[in-house]
This record gives sequence, structure tokens and C-alpha cells, in this order.
Amino acid sequence: MASASGEHEKRALMCPENVHQGMRLGPIFYVVTSEQIEKFAQATASSNPLFRDKQIAPPTMRLQDYALLIAKHFYGGSGGVHARHWNEFYAPLRAGQTIKSEGQIIKTERKRGKFYFELEYESRDAETGELLMRQAITSVLLVEGKFT
Amino acid sequence: MSEIVSKPYLLDADAAKAYNAAVEGPPRIHPRQNIHTDNAAARKAGFRAPIAGGEQTYAVMANFLLDTFGENFLRGGRLKAALIKPVFFGDTLTMHVRTIEDEASLLQLEVWTLNQLGERVLAGTARVPKQVA
Repeated sequence: MASASGEHEKRALMCPENVHQGMRLGPIFYVVTSEQIEKFAQATASSNPLFRDKQIAPPTMRLQDYALLIAKHFYGGSGGVHARHWNEFYAPLRAGQTIKSEGQIIKTERKRGKFYFELEYESRDAETGELLMRQAITSVLLVEGKFT
Repeated sequence: MSEIVSKPYLLDADAAKAYNAAVEGPPRIHPRQNIHTDNAAARKAGFRAPIAGGEQTYAVMANFLLDTFGENFLRGGRLKAALIKPVFFGDTLTMHVRTIEDEASLLQLEVWTLNQLGERVLAGTARVPKQVA
């Protein structure tokens, strides 16, 4: 399949027909940075000293890993609307830590004409394998800019 | 524990811009207009105006729980919430928490976020361990 830029596109179009329960997404890897901690704390108007003094990442600073996981497997689409989210925290993410995140589509559902999917994903210390956080997003996928 | 209420958080266009700059989004070859940035896209999806990303509303709730209960929240805590009403740029949010069960080892909490009209935009539950091994 060819992308708009003409490059060979191995990813699938983000649409209900291509999102299936059981699909595994990722892994992705990144390093937690003190710069992102500072910017995120400022953006959410938080002055919690844990962020500055202990270089601990705000609880949901890496919530958007879901978007990176999706972007690794899908392209395009109209985006979605965040309906529900949950997080389980096991240990803080810290500046300098290398993280491995991966996930799985655990549910797809058509309800009242809308297409919902739930993506569960987890973050681990890439070196030790320690589980740091599990979370899941439930999103309503827009199709051609609309819910239905 | 009685209800605890956060300081107000103004989620305006500047706050959204700062948030977007702070999170690592997927790289886009062609930035697209969407329900968070474009009036027409928002209206097509059924909203009267562009809406704030739900994750920012969720993020300030998570921060509030960390501020209130400390680092224990990040060592065995949980937050689960539904984004039940859109947040529009310029809305002022307050986060609320109250204990629904005080167990031996953890607190079970109800959490919710109100906009400036007193409408619930987020509702859910959380738990925080009292002690961490």
C-alpha cells in the first residue's frame, strides 16, 4: 500500500475494519527525561516537589504512549474521542530510565452506531523488566470525521 | 475523610498548547485538523466547538491524587475514570475526591471533576495504599 508521500506503507489504515481484538501493538522504547517532566508539570500547573527533587514523572506523563503504539501499526484515520481510562501504578517512572511499552487491543465493540476499542498497555523498565505501570484507554473512533 | 477539592485549573488554549508540547505524540508528516484544533472538524463530530483532549482532564486528576496522597499513589495506586462530558477551551476545572471505604491497607475513593458550571466532566474511582512495602 502506498502512502500519500508515495513511500511504501506497511501500516494499516486506522479504521474499524482494521482494528481487531487481540492485536498486539509495540513495543516502543524511550528514555524518560527531566525536560519532559518539567514541561508536563508546568502544563498541568503542578508544583509537586517529587517531580523536581526526586525526578519522578507525573502519573500520566506517558499516557500518550497509546498514540505511539497505534502510530507504529496504523496511519491516517480521523482520530477518536477518549471515553474512559484506567491506570495501575506499581512504581514511579524516573528521569534517565529507559522504558519499554507495549500493548494489546483487548476489546472492540459497536454500540449505538459507534465503534469503541480498548487498548491495554504496560510500561516496564527496559533493563530490569520491572513492571511500572499498566493502563488502558477506551476510545470512540471517528470515521470520516463522524462518530457513525 | 470529607471531600477534598483542588485548586481551579484553567484549561484554555495556552494550557492545551503547553500540554501538547509536553507529551510525545506520534510524528505527523502532514499535521491534520481535528476536533481539538478545528471548528469545522469539531462540528462535524457533533461538538459546538473544539474540545480539549480528555487525557489532559485525566492528567490533572491524577496529579491531584498524587498531591493529596503522596508517592504511595504511584506504588500500588489506581485511577479509573470516564470522561463523561466534553471540556471546552476556557473551562475551569476543579477536582474532587472523597473516601468511600477506609480499609485496613488502602483507601477506596470516589473522584470527579466539575467544570465552572458545576457539571461533571469526569467521574470515577481511585485507590491508594496506606503503606508501601
